[in-house]
Amino acid sequence: MSTKHLSPEVLSERRKKAVRLRLDGHTVAVASQQTGLSAPTVSAAWKAFREGGWAAVPVKPRGRSKGQGNTLSAAAQALLWDGLYAPAPRRMPGWSSAALADLANERLGLRLTQRAIEHWWETEELKHYPWALAALAKKRTLAGRWFDKAVAPAFLRCQNAEQRWQGGVRRVAHAHRALYQIYLHGVRGKLYMRCFEHPPTACDYQTMLSRLTQPAVVVFHGAMFSANQELAEWLASQTSLTVVAVPADLGLEHR
Amino acid sequence: MTSLTHLQRLEAESIQIMREVVAETENPVMLYSVGKDSAVMLHLARKAFAPSPPPFPLLHVDTRWKFQAMYDFRDKMAEDIGMDLIVHINPEGVEKDINPFTHGSAIHTDVMKTEGLKQALDKYGFDAAFGGARRDEEKSRAKERVFSFRTAQHRWDPKNQRPELWKLYNTRKHPKESIRVFPLSNWTELDIWQYIHLQNIPIVPLYYAAERPVVERDGALIMVDDDRMPLEPGEVPMMRKVRFRTLGCYPLTGAVESEADTLPAIIQEMLLTKTSERQGRVIDHDSSASMEKKKQEGYF
Repeated sequence: MSTKHLSPEVLSERRKKAVRLRLDGHTVAVASQQTGLSAPTVSAAWKAFREGGWAAVPVKPRGRSKGQGNTLSAAAQALLWDGLYAPAPRRMPGWSSAALADLANERLGLRLTQRAIEHWWETEELKHYPWALAALAKKRTLAGRWFDKAVAPAFLRCQNAEQRWQGGVRRVAHAHRALYQIYLHGVRGKLYMRCFEHPPTACDYQTMLSRLTQPAVVVFHGAMFSANQELAEWLASQTSLTVVAVPADLGLEHR
Repeated sequence: MTSLTHLQRLEAESIQIMREVVAETENPVMLYSVGKDSAVMLHLARKAFAPSPPPFPLLHVDTRWKFQAMYDFRDKMAEDIGMDLIVHINPEGVEKDINPFTHGSAIHTDVMKTEGLKQALDKYGFDAAFGGARRDEEKSRAKERVFSFRTAQHRWDPKNQRPELWKLYNTRKHPKESIRVFPLSNWTELDIWQYIHLQNIPIVPLYYAAERPVVERDGALIMVDDDRMPLEPGEVPMMRKVRFRTLGCYPLTGAVESEADTLPAIIQEMLLTKTSERQGRVIDHDSSASMEKKKQEGYF
């Protein structure tokens, strides 16, 4: 059974299926028969799973992935990382790709495109994609009901797309650094971010939110603002800023 | 001839141990900590004495700092199975408001768990107590026998243990001595999960991965379960997808980041893990051999 004609995606799926079959107690022969993979390939996938978990089962994609091109030197990357860990330029809620390009130009005389920086974000797992919030309005799911009850009334108060934000905080698994990221999507999903070595504090959130042009609505995921009294009081005192917390395990889909 | 699977063998062994205890002791009790091992032990006890309910009560030594989900689950289980549930809280600890934050994990564990357990055993005169400890959890538990004898002061002497050759148990005890019995000694964490899956045993939802508010303390992820958890200045809990491999007092129990939100996913995760579940327990890292010292003083 040759698998050379299969695309890496299909081959990866079959390898995962083979591992699932092995986990269910099926023999290599049965897994081989059901997936169309050779017995050594099934065994190799199983061995990869035992040694490295699910992440080790898929085959490597062919060719060079986005952002792998040697367009950013080590010095440029170090500068971008330093920037992301430092406060964003004045009046901006976080670092945009344009602001980082300006930083590289100013400090190193490098003319980087925004696209090059966005590719680098993707490589470093920093790129977060916005949620398809608008699509929730028509859904009769838990998320749809939450949108109708919590988000839609807030959006009604801010009709302008530039006043509507979505964002959150997350820990990004990174090989070389402790990485917590606050991300914000503005109009047309434009991404702003800031990185931290420790979980962001109330002050970090406050700085970010206060830089949004108000009135504004922020749909925010990943932080329990209500647990911090200082932050909760500050948010309550903001008459033209509404923060809508995304409930746990809502499973929002990305655009 | 049909041969038993390894889970069936473990099940048979545990049931035999439970029946032996009921036959040989006067006033046994089952310690119920609301965790997954307790859930399995309770399930085995119900099987061992079916169709009657098990001929002993359940005892929960409460510290007042368990996860809220554990209390909800405990009360629901007690109602569903119709067994007597004794909840004991050390009144001296309550009076002094002993807690893990101001008194530290060592004092909290000693007063609320160890002393609480000893008080409860004395108060009700129990001479045998089933516990869900397993050998693979921790090194001092690995060397403890299935029938672990305790002095009148509930102390354990690891150098004076009885042989249990061919699974024959010597249950004779001196006056005022008591026995801690561990029917799950030979089970592993993976066995427990497989058995829960096969037998469809209900467990506390905290074992499944879900987004929960957590803060970081000394590298451990601690869930903010109620407003008694003191936050550092400016600290904001983050919502992270975590689950618990072991459950204890919430300020002393670390969560692990995980995507395993079903039993098969947990079992798959178990296949890959190389650390003990008790890595997540702060109390096990108080000092070297801390579990053995606690056990000698009467801890479970």
